[in-house]
Amino acid sequence: MRELVLTQPGRVLVGPSEREDESSRAHREFEERLVECGPLAFRVAYGVLRHAADAEDAAQEALLKAYRNFGRLREPARFRGWLVRIAFRLALDRWRSAKRREKRETQWTGPEQSAAGPTTEELAVSSEFQARLDRAMEELPEKFRLVLLLAAIQGYTLEEVSGMLGIPMGTVKSRLFFARKELAEKLR
Amino acid sequence: MSCERCKEKMVDALAGGEGAVHGELAAHLRACAGCKKVYEAQVHLFGAIDSGVRAMVNETAPASLLPRVRARMEETRAPRLVWRSAWSVVAIAAMILVISLGFVRRSRPLRDAGLTKAPTGVAIRTETVPFAATPREAASTAANPRRRPGNKMETRINRPSGVPEVTVLAEEHQAFVRFVARIPADPQKAVALTRPAPPQQDLPVEIALLQIEKLKVKLLEPTTEE
Repeated sequence: MRELVLTQPGRVLVGPSEREDESSRAHREFEERLVECGPLAFRVAYGVLRHAADAEDAAQEALLKAYRNFGRLREPARFRGWLVRIAFRLALDRWRSAKRREKRETQWTGPEQSAAGPTTEELAVSSEFQARLDRAMEELPEKFRLVLLLAAIQGYTLEEVSGMLGIPMGTVKSRLFFARKELAEKLR
Repeated sequence: MSCERCKEKMVDALAGGEGAVHGELAAHLRACAGCKKVYEAQVHLFGAIDSGVRAMVNETAPASLLPRVRARMEETRAPRLVWRSAWSVVAIAAMILVISLGFVRRSRPLRDAGLTKAPTGVAIRTETVPFAATPREAASTAANPRRRPGNKMETRINRPSGVPEVTVLAEEHQAFVRFVARIPADPQKAVALTRPAPPQQDLPVEIALLQIEKLKVKLLEPTTEE
């Protein structure tokens, strides 16, 4: 007796046990990526939130979201960029809601002081400069901000940032240029 | 090159990440002390920006991050499996329902022809006979089968003697017949045949008069507490 099996390209018939295997395999794959990309998600979130506990919560949320939707990711090579975007977006949402809450609770806003006296080395280490830099970063457009943060993470070259975000190298460079220029103008 | 143009170009060079200046700009900086001072300030500023941004993103991830994520992943995974099994139960139930509906549809032509075959081996024949609304009418109908009280009709099923009879509502009759016909496992349970219950009618309700044999009227006596 001959058996004729018709299969659809790109799809395979899976039984419950095979499906279970697939789920376990996806779980294992994600686990491997978790070790590699977990700290990256934290760093991106920390770059936005500037608070370790909040950044940890945001990174955890991003990793779980990525885990739940891992099966939908068509190109596993894009995982890092995908995770970075999720972490960035979640951290921004968290930061915005914290800002709104803060605004509601205290209607006070600190007066901006001019940084005329100290040298730039002193400024770099001073918390005042850091606070001004934080504020200037917050005012940057999101796409500039994300590129600036990723390019500043140790061990990531501009090529890797380009690959991670799926944008051309020239775009990465121009975003970085405008981001740094805008920051300098705000901090001058 | 003017000093204004020089300042623009130096900012662009530093923002672009160029480590050193070349050409016309470099020549102007060598010649103009004021621009040189501005340039050095800009170099410091960009350096401070870079180190500040690096400090923002190179914080070490806490050791608790991955264990927490793994724990949450396990929590997420367990309900997913439960849901999957729940969905498979629902799918099986839906399949059974579809199959049984198909079975009912196939058996309908038999019944329309006036013959229903039950799995018990008892042939249930349905016929329309005059319907007796009350016991009195039933007695008179039995005496005179041609007499039809009103236009009310019922479906009566002939049953073998000794088989229990179940009276069901007229609108539920067909459903009950189908239910009986679909009991394949235990034929003993399928022996019961059905007879539709009489439809609801506005029959006068007879209430027997209360008959009191003795009536003794007593006056209320005040108690000691009052």
